[in-house]
Amino acid sequence: MSRIIACYKWVADEADMKINPDMSVDLSKAKGKISDYDRNVIEAAVQMAKISGDLAVTLTFGSPKAKLSLKDALSRGPAEGFWVNSEMAEQADGAASAKVLAAAIDKIGDYKLIICGEGASDTFARQVGPSIAARLGIPCVSSAIKMELSGNEVKVSRKLEDGIEIVAAQLPAVVCILPEINRPPIPGLKAVLDAGKKPTREYKIEELGLLDSDLGARNETIEFKAYVMNRKNIVLDGETAVDKVQALVGSLKKEGII
Amino acid sequence: MPGIYVYSDKVQEAAALIGLAAQSGKEVCCISLDSNQAQELKEYGPERIIILNGNSPLPENYAQSIAELIKNEEGELFLVASTVRGRELAAKTAGYLDCGMVSDAESLVFEDEGIVSTRLMYGGSVVQKEIIRQLAVVTVPAGNLQAVKKENAPVSIVSLEVQADPRVRLIETLPVKRDKIDLASAEKVVCVGMGLDKQEDMKMAEELAQLLGAEIACTRGIAEERQWLPVESYIGISGAKIKPSLYISMGVSGQVQHVVGIRDSKIIVAVDSNEKAPIIKAADYSIIGDMYEIIPLLIEELKKA
Repeated sequence: MSRIIACYKWVADEADMKINPDMSVDLSKAKGKISDYDRNVIEAAVQMAKISGDLAVTLTFGSPKAKLSLKDALSRGPAEGFWVNSEMAEQADGAASAKVLAAAIDKIGDYKLIICGEGASDTFARQVGPSIAARLGIPCVSSAIKMELSGNEVKVSRKLEDGIEIVAAQLPAVVCILPEINRPPIPGLKAVLDAGKKPTREYKIEELGLLDSDLGARNETIEFKAYVMNRKNIVLDGETAVDKVQALVGSLKKEGII
Repeated sequence: MPGIYVYSDKVQEAAALIGLAAQSGKEVCCISLDSNQAQELKEYGPERIIILNGNSPLPENYAQSIAELIKNEEGELFLVASTVRGRELAAKTAGYLDCGMVSDAESLVFEDEGIVSTRLMYGGSVVQKEIIRQLAVVTVPAGNLQAVKKENAPVSIVSLEVQADPRVRLIETLPVKRDKIDLASAEKVVCVGMGLDKQEDMKMAEELAQLLGAEIACTRGIAEERQWLPVESYIGISGAKIKPSLYISMGVSGQVQHVVGIRDSKIIVAVDSNEKAPIIKAADYSIIGDMYEIIPLLIEELKKA
């Protein structure tokens, strides 16, 4: 029995994002959540482990705030939760995150499959999964919509721009998944209660043989601002619904669109 | 040789990247995995083309070879078009090089102090501007960039034998299933959202679409949760990005993940009962009202027009 490791990111919930009048972004009141696709990641690991008889575990790299994520992640079915705890996670770029996760995976050991989301719901940079694979020196398959283990390979269906491609990767491998791969159920009460009793393991950066200075962002962020979409924002008015509809048709004609 | 390296599995996008890289005034080296493609790319006048010959049909399997090439030649920047293959190849290359990476750069400007890039975060609601001062990999959605041919430019072409990663093998490519949906090039789009009560109400949307000569699209929930339309029909950050002259939504709340996919529409029209729905802020024209009343009226009115 070896491990199937589901990597997830604990992100600020964009629904709680506030935009200040100067267009700066305030996330200080935002609650955390498991990144959207990463719920599919955890579900995929649980499903794969059920079939293969392996052990599904979770791994995250986060600041002390991410401690909250462990119970949530484990309520979704995995047997054990690993967490690299560091303040550095707050400003980590893709390179730093991949470096930390790869080192943690190495430390956890005895793995056959690493599952990542195609992208995180905050940055959506889609780089950490393949970068982990490169750093561990193992194969990677991205854009996965279906996968199955067979022998010493994982067979993956990938969604490309113009069709579906089926590939097989030698294990151990990293697979980055799209959300259509499964539908994660909402954990039941019993699962939530059981999650509290499951083992968790916390690592510090130093235990992974890394230093904080290895984790600085490679590029300097010089601006972080709300995106402004310039639209006319005309709400069509009228006494009756018919008036509003006529106003709309009139406007679209004037625009030369109909 | 220090310079900018470009790659795409799609020849037009590689051509566009050559033009983008040339704006830096630095030497542009185009990496190609196919000698026929290399001949086509020659027309766009990169200073160099390096053809990597290996034995895998999957471009992603050349990441390590590319990383070694860039490292040996002390390249400064690797630009890759944001296709599915390109993104994976780019991220792996950045991993092998242990360098920074900017994904899906919306803009890239070569300045004296460094390369200034912008990209979107949080489903398109936030813009992050970064400055790149050291070796980096950048992916660029190059589909909209113009490629310009350069007549009679001298191009040096060399071939290198490399070892592709043999550990991922291609089993098969399934016949392209193009269900006549081509949202990306649709001129008009009618989009349905979770505000629709039942599947038969799709008829209303279809009638409107037919009148307008529009394609039908939807939000992720309609495709994935309710499965009323194929997943190819949903618009958003993980779905289709559209740029029609007209987009009309019905029952779409307008979460940022959806809105990022419609941003390039010329005119956005929203019909929604909730005046506080985010789609109203994203729209040019809105009607606040019950779509079950408004859409049939709109159909009537368009029939008259």
